[in-house]
Amino acid sequence: MKSMWRRTCGLAVAPLVMASAVACGNGSDQASEGTTLRVIVNITPNLTEKYWNDLFDTYEKSHPGVTVKLELTGTISADAKLRQDLAAGDPPDVAQQITPTADTASLFADLSDQPWTAKTPLADQYAVDGKRYVVGVGEQIQSLVFYNKAAFEKAGIDAAGIRTMDQFTAAMGRLKGAGYKPLQAAGQWVTGSQFSMMADAGVLTADPEWTAKRKDGKVSFARSDYLPYLEHYKSWIDKGYLDKSALGLTYADGQTAFLNGKSAMYIMGSFFVPAADAAKKSDEIGVFTMPTDGVYPSGQFGNISNPYVVVNKSRHKAEAIEFVKWATTDPKAIKSQLASDANLREGFTYPMSSLGSSVQQILDKAPSVIVKSGMSQPVAGFSDELNKQIQSLYTGSSPAGAADGLDKWWNSQS
Amino acid sequence: MVELAELSAGPKQRGRRGARLRDSAITLGMMGPAVLLYTVMTVVPVGVAVYLSLTDWDGFSTAAFTGLDNYKHLFDDPSSTDAWYVTGLIAVAGTVCMVGLGLVYALALKGRSRTNSFFRAVAYFPHVISALILGYLWAAILGTNGAVNNTLAKFGIEPLGFLFDEKFALISLIAVIVWAGFGFNVVLFVAALQTVPAELLEAAAIDGASKRQINLRIVIPMIAPVVTVATVLNLVGLIRAYDIVVSLTGGGPAGSTQTFTYLILARSFEGTNVGYATAQAVFLMVVSAVLALLVTALRNRQDQAAAGQ
Repeated sequence: MKSMWRRTCGLAVAPLVMASAVACGNGSDQASEGTTLRVIVNITPNLTEKYWNDLFDTYEKSHPGVTVKLELTGTISADAKLRQDLAAGDPPDVAQQITPTADTASLFADLSDQPWTAKTPLADQYAVDGKRYVVGVGEQIQSLVFYNKAAFEKAGIDAAGIRTMDQFTAAMGRLKGAGYKPLQAAGQWVTGSQFSMMADAGVLTADPEWTAKRKDGKVSFARSDYLPYLEHYKSWIDKGYLDKSALGLTYADGQTAFLNGKSAMYIMGSFFVPAADAAKKSDEIGVFTMPTDGVYPSGQFGNISNPYVVVNKSRHKAEAIEFVKWATTDPKAIKSQLASDANLREGFTYPMSSLGSSVQQILDKAPSVIVKSGMSQPVAGFSDELNKQIQSLYTGSSPAGAADGLDKWWNSQS
Repeated sequence: MVELAELSAGPKQRGRRGARLRDSAITLGMMGPAVLLYTVMTVVPVGVAVYLSLTDWDGFSTAAFTGLDNYKHLFDDPSSTDAWYVTGLIAVAGTVCMVGLGLVYALALKGRSRTNSFFRAVAYFPHVISALILGYLWAAILGTNGAVNNTLAKFGIEPLGFLFDEKFALISLIAVIVWAGFGFNVVLFVAALQTVPAELLEAAAIDGASKRQINLRIVIPMIAPVVTVATVLNLVGLIRAYDIVVSLTGGGPAGSTQTFTYLILARSFEGTNVGYATAQAVFLMVVSAVLALLVTALRNRQDQAAAGQ
């Protein structure tokens, strides 16, 4: 009986002992010989797991004693992964693809006292209350229209002559007449993002404070310049320039359809260039700045590329800052990261395709880069709601109804 | 006093009490790991979720208590109300189809033969594959560039909006859910049908009851408790529909297939309002529990009424 009792107690206690052992073992990532830095990154078709490991190997070779470990996010965003890790009391050291806000800035190391940060792209545009928490490698621009040169030639269109929304609409009519699907759309997140790339160029160039004003309730979607853009978009659906069946396409499907010449134009960011290069179609594709109802060329809706933050609770903060400094200032690291996603940075060049060079020229001529950060960052979840409302234009909603839906949703979130 | 009582109880009684104490200790010891696991894995997370749902926690900073604000917001948030409408449609239509189809299929295949066994296995097969994978498979079949539309395109027919037309997409989603899940009901119902006494069926047949009458008046009432269990399981399962939604439609087009669980996981938890997302999750849990209890209570009442007749 005694031995049975002992066995029973043993069975009951064993999981606790094992759990304690695991808990004690966890977190002791500081090997006796050096430091292990854990870095959260997003894996994309261009920025693969292999790419990051190769980049980190380069750092490790020049920094003996430091190991950089890739933290995969799985199916969740970098932001969600960071939250999970922090909630679990197991903070990573560095995270990518996170834009600090006034509410979250305290989670990240203030890098303002690091003189090298001033030279990183868009550092001040992304500052929160004047402090730099995030530094990036380059810039991405997104108010671009890629076009099929053969289709334009067949339709007799000069891309340089498309500067206004009316000219853009007229070009679509001629492309349709020439037997092409004028504008490539897709489902998933693409529908809303393409609208954003189009409308933000016009609206936010005219009023860079628009988002901040929307937060204060001083402007609305229904009574602003967004409404005419919604009307343009709806008219393209009604005229058959945009195909409803595109909503059943994935991002990759839409991109492939354009690359295969099934459609004549594709609104997308500079990150489309590597896909065109990989498909060896760069020379067959041209690019021009998104037309607007206002000034031309408009400011480019853009963002910082490869943004890095150092987590305040990092156990190796100094080493983490050193790593971020290397990733954003070392010429070899910069060129590698720029080239991998066709991003841009003043003073840095890398072998580019003709399409990449055209995008660089557009950035050089752009009067500004419009960034959605700080007070200009929309409320959380807006991009999903925008996507839903833009897709609703295909399923029968009116432009005014979509604008009202956006306002109603925004108001319900504040 | 206690000592006196124990002394007077005698060694035999003391021994019995000791054995009882040992038994209780062993029982507790055996239950301990399970209770501990249940507490750690279920009770504590639910408690924490309820607490978080009453705060404005953003997932990063310290949570501040906000009372029932998150629950009030559930009713004025247009995304939530739209998602509930879609969820309700999927849950009701899906449950009716899964139970109905399962019942018809089980009645047709209740006999013991190799052919019946084969078709029962075929019906159950989708249930063993991950719902996420099934969604991707069907997306490859029904999508704009999918197998069906590609075949139609070869004949010059415009693509059918299985996944890009908002009404069609919801029907496609429900159809795939039913196809993936009704096999489980078939297995349940076939097992239940085999418990119906053969002599009862023979007696009914001798009395001149038709096959239809036997099924409707004898067989189905006799397996009604199993049908109730299947209904509750299907209903509660479909209220939480997520994986097929993610892989088949992604909640689109225009949010027309966005279920409440999809909203919680793909939108709310991805944002920074974790307190609100947790309130949505707690609300979903309560609705599931209430529905399960309601269906069971209705069934019990029917059983009692039948017994009283």
